[in-house]
Amino acid sequence: MIINTPELNRTEILIDEYLKLLKEGVNAQEILVLLRNSKKKKDFIEKIKKKSPLGNIGNLKIYSFEGLIYNYILDNWAIVENSIKSDVNRKIIPNLCGLEVSQYIFKECIKEVDFTGYNSKTSLLHQLFRRNALINLNNLSDEEVAKRAKILKESYSIEANLAINKYKSKSIQLRAFDYIRQMNIFQFLYKKLKNKFNYVFLDDADEITPVVLAYLEHIKPSVKDFYIAYDSNGSSRLGYLGAININFEEFLSQKEIKPKIEDKKISNAKEILNLVKNNQKIDFDNISLKSFLKRNEMTDEVLKDIKILINSGVRPCEICLITPLSDEFLKTTLEKSGLKFNFLTKNEKLNQNKLISYILELLKIINDKNNEDISSYILKGIFIELLNLDKKESVKIIQEYRLERDFKGSNIFDFIKNKNNDEFIKLIEVYEKIRFEKLSVQLYEIVTNFLPLDKDLSKDYIKIAQLLKQINDFEDVFKNSVSNNDLIIQLENTIISENPLSDDEIDENSIVVSSAQKIIDYSYKTKYQFLLDVNNEGWLRQDIGPLYNAWVMQKTWSKDSFELEDNIELTLDRTARILYKLYLLADKITLYQSSYDSLGQENFSGIDKYYKTNSKTKETTKVKPIIPRKDQEEVLNYKGGLMSVSATAGSGKTTIMLLLVDKILSGEILSDIEPKNIFVLTFMESAARNFRERIKAKYPNLSELPNISTIHGLALRIIKENNNFSRLGLDYDFEIIDEIKRSAILAEITYSLGIAPDKTDLYDSAISAYKNELSIYGEFDCKNKLFLSVFQLYQAKLKEQNLIDYDDLLLLSLKLLKENKDVLEYYQDIVKIIIEDEAQDSSFTQQNLITLLGGKYKNIIRCGDINQAITSTFTNSDVAGFREFMKKSKNVVMDRCQRCATGVLDCANNTVKFAQKNEIDAFSSLVMKPVEGVNIVDKNAVKTEIFEEENLENQFILNKIKQILKKDKNATIGILLRSNFAINKWDKLLKDNSIKTYKNSDSLINNPVYKICLLVLEFILNPYDNKKVVEIAQELFEYGYYKYEEVKYAKSLNEAIFLKDDFDSQLWWDLNYFLFKNTTSIYELVNEIGSYYFSNSKQKDNISLVAAIAAKIQLTQKTFENTVNRLREIQYKTNFSNIKFFSVDDTVQKANAVQIMTLHKSKGDEFDWVFIPEMTQKNLCFDIGEYKLKENSIFIQKVKKEPKNDFELKKDIIEENYRLIYVGITRAKKKLYLTTSNKYKHFSRIETFKNSEILEGLNQYA
Amino acid sequence: MPKIIDTFSAHSLKILDKNPKEFMDKFVYHLSLYKKDERTDLGKKFHSLICAYIKNFDVSKMIMELSEKEKKIYLNFIDKLKDEKSFFIETEYPFLIKEELNNENYYLTGRFDAIYKKDSEYIIYDWKTLNLPKNPKDDLQSIVYIYALKKIYNTKNIKMRYISLEKLDFIDVFYDENFDYKNRIDEIVEKYKNFTSLQDLSAHF
Repeated sequence: MIINTPELNRTEILIDEYLKLLKEGVNAQEILVLLRNSKKKKDFIEKIKKKSPLGNIGNLKIYSFEGLIYNYILDNWAIVENSIKSDVNRKIIPNLCGLEVSQYIFKECIKEVDFTGYNSKTSLLHQLFRRNALINLNNLSDEEVAKRAKILKESYSIEANLAINKYKSKSIQLRAFDYIRQMNIFQFLYKKLKNKFNYVFLDDADEITPVVLAYLEHIKPSVKDFYIAYDSNGSSRLGYLGAININFEEFLSQKEIKPKIEDKKISNAKEILNLVKNNQKIDFDNISLKSFLKRNEMTDEVLKDIKILINSGVRPCEICLITPLSDEFLKTTLEKSGLKFNFLTKNEKLNQNKLISYILELLKIINDKNNEDISSYILKGIFIELLNLDKKESVKIIQEYRLERDFKGSNIFDFIKNKNNDEFIKLIEVYEKIRFEKLSVQLYEIVTNFLPLDKDLSKDYIKIAQLLKQINDFEDVFKNSVSNNDLIIQLENTIISENPLSDDEIDENSIVVSSAQKIIDYSYKTKYQFLLDVNNEGWLRQDIGPLYNAWVMQKTWSKDSFELEDNIELTLDRTARILYKLYLLADKITLYQSSYDSLGQENFSGIDKYYKTNSKTKETTKVKPIIPRKDQEEVLNYKGGLMSVSATAGSGKTTIMLLLVDKILSGEILSDIEPKNIFVLTFMESAARNFRERIKAKYPNLSELPNISTIHGLALRIIKENNNFSRLGLDYDFEIIDEIKRSAILAEITYSLGIAPDKTDLYDSAISAYKNELSIYGEFDCKNKLFLSVFQLYQAKLKEQNLIDYDDLLLLSLKLLKENKDVLEYYQDIVKIIIEDEAQDSSFTQQNLITLLGGKYKNIIRCGDINQAITSTFTNSDVAGFREFMKKSKNVVMDRCQRCATGVLDCANNTVKFAQKNEIDAFSSLVMKPVEGVNIVDKNAVKTEIFEEENLENQFILNKIKQILKKDKNATIGILLRSNFAINKWDKLLKDNSIKTYKNSDSLINNPVYKICLLVLEFILNPYDNKKVVEIAQELFEYGYYKYEEVKYAKSLNEAIFLKDDFDSQLWWDLNYFLFKNTTSIYELVNEIGSYYFSNSKQKDNISLVAAIAAKIQLTQKTFENTVNRLREIQYKTNFSNIKFFSVDDTVQKANAVQIMTLHKSKGDEFDWVFIPEMTQKNLCFDIGEYKLKENSIFIQKVKKEPKNDFELKKDIIEENYRLIYVGITRAKKKLYLTTSNKYKHFSRIETFKNSEILEGLNQYA
Repeated sequence: MPKIIDTFSAHSLKILDKNPKEFMDKFVYHLSLYKKDERTDLGKKFHSLICAYIKNFDVSKMIMELSEKEKKIYLNFIDKLKDEKSFFIETEYPFLIKEELNNENYYLTGRFDAIYKKDSEYIIYDWKTLNLPKNPKDDLQSIVYIYALKKIYNTKNIKMRYISLEKLDFIDVFYDENFDYKNRIDEIVEKYKNFTSLQDLSAHF
């Protein structure tokens, strides 16, 4: 009997047939029943139990696919043991262990194989593990593997197979078989035994694996009857979990039954299948899509929708959330809501359970002989959470311990021995009893001695039991060869997908959160299905990387090559099956998407593209229409092709670009265009975010936005999408190195080569320059051999750690496109128009990439202002390239500046004239013109002042500012400086004069969430430090959270705050709460602090980013204390691990504040009043003869193919100085003050400084 | 809401009979850990070996894992069994019996170490690595196993035999016509029902 139907009750048909057989007198042990997983197995058994008559039901042979194999091996082990050639180490019972154990064995085996140059890859273990799994799941022979290695052009297949063989023999030697390895044993075994089953029942046959199929094929001749139920459209596990599509009619040479079911749901589901396969959009009444910019906006809406349902009487078990990203952000966000959630996570780490994490920490301390890395923070948690000690008492004892440890290095157990406390006495007793025992015994004793028999701990006990089983597995296999400490570390860091024999309990009173696969595997039916993060690539993740490829390693793969097209088609097919199956399991589906993920990175390539938004996409919110000026209008008249836009400062470029994108979206310019065909490239991440927010504000219902990113963002997408990284030899989890890590790696390398530490930075910028040269010229003979050694070591280090740097992003994506025609065509088809902002800062590689991507439709618009090119001295920007482009494209000029007073415009134009006079080719010939009736007319808007002494200059500016603010407290004032260093000086000066300042800086500590969280963390670690308390109170007072009373209260404290009982103080309550909050997850703690103070503020979006930074740091730090210290150390960095804060509308902080920043940073900003002080020749030199080259500039030339001589180099820098002052000048709306002094304090000495030439130069025109 | 238990083994019934609270902690809330020790490990090995032996597998290689002393115990034991070997009809045989109590169903489950049949007599064998039961007749294992076997083979000619692996001594428990097996088991299952309804009640107030 073969039933082919998507109908979910088909299992009932099988059950009835099963019972019929029993009734006819067939013995249960003659009937083999095979089901997809142990959950389904349990369900089947329960139904048999319910439907059977009273009395003997029988010896049921009902198994999951994996369970059959497991039991088969146990029952017939003797045969296997007898065939193993060895006379030692015999085993009566094999270790049928979990994946954790085999992963450990694998790790040891890799060490013995030389993957020349590849061994150190962090992901090698993952790659080999997946390779081995795919080979076994698909039952591939050595020849079949070799054939695939050829198809995939694998470079390490010989080594990989060698490692796998080593693993195989090692696993035999240890008799340790995970479920994958059990498949091998099973295949050997069943051929040696007579089949005992007369009947075979097979449900979910579309998810069958080749190994099980081969077994059924083998026993087929001796089986009387088969009962098979399946859905030919099913097979959601195709391609990565080894499912195969089988024609069961052929398998049994018999016709299948296809029940005709008149069901709207089934016909809709089938339509979904077809729509997705044909890349069309789904549009059903019971499906809706909601789109958001940020992930927390999305989760807020999800929670809101859930609460509405619950309040209307829907039971929690009728709702489920499906997402590929059940990460810490989601967990903490959902759990904070007060609703109950049940996470069916595939990869739960052990220490995500609070109790287990404290038990593991205690075990670590017990097994750690020297107690060096004990975190007092963790110890506090152990005392309070495990030993149930009084909270205040715990903090006091720990403070004592810390002092004593610093003093004489005390062992914690020696220390508490002297405390007269029952719990400590018990702990010492248990410690003495178990300190030399096996880990399993230690765990058992701790749990039985310190955990109460409290039914609320039921879930924890179940998890502990699982942990204990894992430990037993390890101890059985390795005996004493793995130390307790190593074992703890191994268990803690094990994140591998679940072992198939375990399954989750689903609790009726909570809302299930799960991956799509698990919902399908469990056939978990709910009324409401919420699909989250639908535009995240995780929905379509393919199991492809170096050394493994789930598509090609399918048993049925028959092609000689693997092209992008294959990947896309197969992925589409599987996605269609998944969406089809999900639809069958729900009545109503809501999809939620957010443009950014919780790290602030852009999502792409999700399943959102298969669904239609319910509301009209073109619907816009009412925004005041902008009437373009005449010089702007020409931009909007664009009809396709190449166009360059020269837009002068203050000409309203961003507004016009938005209008242009708007017009393109409306289809007026190019026909047949969708948002996904439009690419907007900005120079800075913040500009991209800003642009995207403005488009989103205009089209709130548009689920698919145009691609708006930096060029690096686009390159990253190209590398990640469709698993393209595997073609570059990268594994799926490659990361982009950040500034901090890069410095660390370079410091290590330069140190090893004996290079002075202060020279490291030279190499840092030279590496980037050198990569740019390689991109332009290809390999060339670099003269600086020492640099080459550093470079090669650096590259090797990146490769080893699965890292790439920012330059690689561009170079690798370019390489990918150039070397893979299919990938290039894929993108050229999508990129119908590409718009680049700040084109003057574009590098050679970037321009190359743009030309290549736009190569098919050739609609390329590049906007920029050559006069504002100010990055060439520290980036690889290539203004010449933009000039070239201007020549060959239609050039539109926007030369109207409506920002600056006429006098300021004159000053800017005079700067251009001055350059021309000095024969410096810094500018285009563009002359800025005012807009009639808009700009302030003030011939005297610019003042230059030269002072004798620094003090006088300071005083002048201070007085001016005071006057300005007195007259107009809302005036905006900017002080623009040459260096970051000077910012702090001016900040202090103004603050000392009671003038509010705002430092426009990207440093982490400038973000209030980061600052407050760090302060509170430091307080938690040192609750006796009342200075911290004052600082916290003050910061939060300034931020408007606390009243001034709390600052006064903090200042009045005469002992540690937690020792007091000051119930009237909010600060007291808050800090005590955080002090006594115990968790081993810094993510959770930071998230809690951040949410407490900022969840109602505009900083809300940054809370999860701060938490993510802290969590990332904790991964590499041994203790909590180190993590907090590290957070303090990196406070002035602009990002960590490329996590960048969302810029927040900071008008509140800026109001009435003088903004201080560098000239570079001021680009794009504007102020009523602008001060550019300290205009010495040293700071702003305009005379080639006077300029002294810096070491850095010279060094970079030495790694270039055609180094510039000193004169050329100086000329470049002088040119850029012209443009830099030009940028500064054009920031001023009303007045501009250019000042300097003849004397400055320089390293505690008063020195004389020449004035910048520009002051005198401009005066000539005034 | 705690999950509802409807399936009982001799072991769980023993605990339920003695202390319903302990039963709840263990089987409903899972508030216990399995303590693995060498003794139970050895017991498992002996069971596996004997099972393999009865199934006619060649165990000569497997027994090399045992120490000399353990090997001796095993071989002595097998020596006793060898002549009767052909009369074993099942080994490591699981059972599942459906029962009714107050219009609700419950199930009995367990695993016979081996079933022996000679002429019309059935013997349930149970290998013991530890001590033999003190009151075998009242032991719930005897009661459940004999009751289950009776249901499976529909016979009254049953006895249960506990054999000590080490000492080779044994005790037999015969099927007792006058003993109400079902009633004894029902009594215990009712303890669970009473205990949970009492808990429901207290939760209610």
